[in-house]
Amino acid sequence: MISRPARRSADILVVDDNPGDVRLTVEALKDGEMQNSLHTASDGVEAIAFLRRKGRYGQAPRPDLILLDLDMPRMGGLQVLAEIKADGALKDIPVVILTGSQEIEDIVKTYDLHANCFVTKPIDLEQFVRMVKSVTRFWLTTLNRQRRTAN
Amino acid sequence: MSQMLEMEQPAAKPAATAGESKQSRELFRALFHRSPIGTYIVQNGHFRLVNRQLAYILGYEEDELTGRPSLGYVLTEDRDIVRENAVRMLKGECAQGYEFRIITKQAKIKWVMETVAPVMYQRKRATLGSLIDVTERKLVEERLRQSTLEIQRSNAELEQFAYVISHDLQEPLRMVASYTQLLAKRYANQLDGDADEFISYAVDGAKRMQTLLHELLDYSRVGTRGKPFSLVNCEHVVDQAMANLKIAIEECGATVSYEVLPTVMGDEGQLVRLFQNLIGNAIKFRREEPPHVYISALRRQNVVTFSVKDNGIGIDPQHSQSVFEIFRRLHTKEEYPGTGMGLAICKKIVERHGGHISVQSQPGQGSTFHFTINMAGGEPA
Repeated sequence: MISRPARRSADILVVDDNPGDVRLTVEALKDGEMQNSLHTASDGVEAIAFLRRKGRYGQAPRPDLILLDLDMPRMGGLQVLAEIKADGALKDIPVVILTGSQEIEDIVKTYDLHANCFVTKPIDLEQFVRMVKSVTRFWLTTLNRQRRTAN
Repeated sequence: MSQMLEMEQPAAKPAATAGESKQSRELFRALFHRSPIGTYIVQNGHFRLVNRQLAYILGYEEDELTGRPSLGYVLTEDRDIVRENAVRMLKGECAQGYEFRIITKQAKIKWVMETVAPVMYQRKRATLGSLIDVTERKLVEERLRQSTLEIQRSNAELEQFAYVISHDLQEPLRMVASYTQLLAKRYANQLDGDADEFISYAVDGAKRMQTLLHELLDYSRVGTRGKPFSLVNCEHVVDQAMANLKIAIEECGATVSYEVLPTVMGDEGQLVRLFQNLIGNAIKFRREEPPHVYISALRRQNVVTFSVKDNGIGIDPQHSQSVFEIFRRLHTKEEYPGTGMGLAICKKIVERHGGHISVQSQPGQGSTFHFTINMAGGEPA
């Protein structure tokens, strides 16, 4: 039996240096059935600060899902991914790589670093919205089911 | 040389008369001194006899060279090459002339090619050398090598350029496309009719540009993302191409057949793409009747010529070159959709495999595409 996702508000961290992409993700999740709190980091350095509650992120929640872009200044997505997966306190947060890249090498590299999912940003808006919704729904549902099982 | 002439005398005959011996000497003298090849006899490392041509190549008078050490005219760093090769050739281990550099009296460096042979001269062992000036050829070779390198480098740069352009332009274009679509979605019918129309053109333009960029990226990937060559069975390749086109083939009732196809050295994924584009075109540009596609191969020495023949609408011979250019379309989008990149990609794949592609066709009488693949797997780089 498939259980309905719990109506708890989930925290999603969007790591992307392009405000246009962040806004699109926000728009895509806006009219979803789930009430989520969206947090954003504009590059890898900020993302790591958020996750480790450094500096102005002292009160940051632990995200339930991370949507991570690859190509960013200062610290790129691959490095962020490596840090998360090497950190015992963070490694079980699902990381979805959300990128403009369609390069096979990038896909292979991210799975080598234990990314949970790799998605190329679709060109078409409708597809983009559908993709963001289904990816978040899938990972948050899986997460909730795991939590209930654990409890 | 004189030694050889003597040896050809039958042994039974009495020794040469004084007259005959004088004749041979004159013959030798004429051959030696008039030869357009630098010729010389070296004994104990010194010139004993040199001809005019050798003196000319070295820039000296003949008597300036006689008695001088022969290696002295060879560029210092090339002397070992000369010693080694001369010894091997004198032993009969190789017959091919060897090349090295000499310095002329005018301090000019020239490339020369030399052969040597053991002879007897004045009853002592000697070396007969022949030498020609190959400086001109060396220069041409070097220039050719340089321009080939230059072309390879500029091709690689162009490919990288096309790749970066199409790859990096995708991001900003995705923004334009996404937000015009978002505008269209959220504000449709809230603005006036003009606004809706303008937005729809913007959306359409952005989408078309995305398709073009995608195709350009695809095209540049043939060069930048190709796989190393391996043995590829072309029947499997055609089967794979047909499987990818299954729906299109079934929809129009096309028949695709092939005769025995060889195994070649190539990039399997790209060869599938090549056949898929050609078969796909044959089906797309069909007449009323169901399309028939026939694939054959003819091997001549190391080159296989493949032919893909169809019964489609054909191509006017005046376009038989330009159909292979990028973004070249012969029909409107309404008649036949597409970006005009298919055959350009075919051409690039064939060229990467050391072959060339052409089409034979008449309007209304079908087309036959021919392309060659080099069996030796001659990928340039």
